[in-house]
Amino acid sequence: MNPRPLTVVLIVPTGVGASIGGFAGDALPVARAIAQISDTLITHPNVLNGAQLYWPIPNALYVEGYALDKFAAGCWGLQPVHQNRIGLILDSAIEPNLQLRHLQAADAARATLGLNITDCVLTDRPLQVELRISESGASWGTIGNPDSLLRAAEKLITQARVEAIAVVARFPDDEGSLALENYRRGKGVDPLAGAEAVISHLIVRTFKIPCAHAPALSALPLDPHLSPRSAAEEIGYTFLPCVLAGLGKAPQFVTPTVGQASCLSQFVTPTVGQASCLSQVWGGQDARTQVWGGQDARTQVWGGQDAHPTREKFYANRRDFESQGLWADRVDAVVIPATACGGSAILSLSARSSVQIIAVGDNKTQMQATPEKLGIKALQVNSYLEAIGVLVALRAGISPASLGADISSLRCLSD
Amino acid sequence: MTTHFISAEVDLHETAEQLHSAIEIELQKYGEPLRWAVTDVDVDRQKAVVEGYVLVEASPATS
Repeated sequence: MNPRPLTVVLIVPTGVGASIGGFAGDALPVARAIAQISDTLITHPNVLNGAQLYWPIPNALYVEGYALDKFAAGCWGLQPVHQNRIGLILDSAIEPNLQLRHLQAADAARATLGLNITDCVLTDRPLQVELRISESGASWGTIGNPDSLLRAAEKLITQARVEAIAVVARFPDDEGSLALENYRRGKGVDPLAGAEAVISHLIVRTFKIPCAHAPALSALPLDPHLSPRSAAEEIGYTFLPCVLAGLGKAPQFVTPTVGQASCLSQFVTPTVGQASCLSQVWGGQDARTQVWGGQDARTQVWGGQDAHPTREKFYANRRDFESQGLWADRVDAVVIPATACGGSAILSLSARSSVQIIAVGDNKTQMQATPEKLGIKALQVNSYLEAIGVLVALRAGISPASLGADISSLRCLSD
Repeated sequence: MTTHFISAEVDLHETAEQLHSAIEIELQKYGEPLRWAVTDVDVDRQKAVVEGYVLVEASPATS
């Protein structure tokens, strides 16, 4: 028995043109393979969602990107569940027939998969999604009525008491565009992905519950040259089944409540001058003053009535808190495309010396943020097959370097 | 509430953790950061090129 479970994070950023995982759930085989050699795999909807296709991975945690960033920063924990009560938000811009297709997809997931999808809300205004491509080549977008989205989510949470939310927004049909043509050929950038991330980030940020998005689009004409990487999105009327399946067992988030310290990592590394929890800094209050000054948040979070916390009590209480979920200090490795190391989660996790970052070279993206340029210590590999070999070595306690032909001599430190 | 796309340059820092903080502080000038990434690094100028979205709450109406 391995005394420490191997926890691996797999990230393929959405909307950056990843050659593996930038299309219709086409990093799912990578996730399935890594899950085989991990005790826990933490990954996100862009990796696991294949429209009509999905694959239940018992030891995988389906974590939306905003929550993944918070988890990586040590601010949120992940609490696995047996089942979530799911609510569905439909954009009122969706035509009636297409709405019905989505309702039937949800009913199918209830009847055929046994998912607990309880209620649906139509937004009170069209969400008005607009798509853009940034200077770097990443897709992004805006929604014209974010408040309407949040009102619908609040209604589901307060009236139907849902624990996870699936959103379907009407996206612009882009038929005939070069971006769509390329996407269908398995090239370029998913033009929808950046705007999808905004939608789910908004809900997770506001309500701190699992959320994922599926776009509503008109069916495209049959294309005999469709890439296998994009094909999962053209075998049905909706992209919703994978989202519902993912949310059915998505972990809940362990988050501090108002007035409590929101970043566990600060307790672990209370270095003067470090501010690793920006959410509180943004609010005009530096979290460090709350934690290490006179108003120690630990007494509120973990210490109950203790007005004079000690370091020993803090560590004891922290263990209690961690027993409520999985936290970033349990992460052993992160697998990421080599050119996409500039995201929040990677920068956070790279600060933890116990985390092995594995940068995969042949998953090309539009980004140019490599570990070397960012000063991040990472193990560079060519392929996911090689990354999986590294994880096997890590699990076995074998240095990956010792598996190569050339082994350098032991370095002696000088005074 | 509105969402905005922001492109910015941030000085590279000694550690990734410091860079993370610097990026969020820079984006905070425009709103609450929702999603961001370093897209490239200008090694000569020691600048990180950042793209991201921020959230801007509507200002309360004044009478």
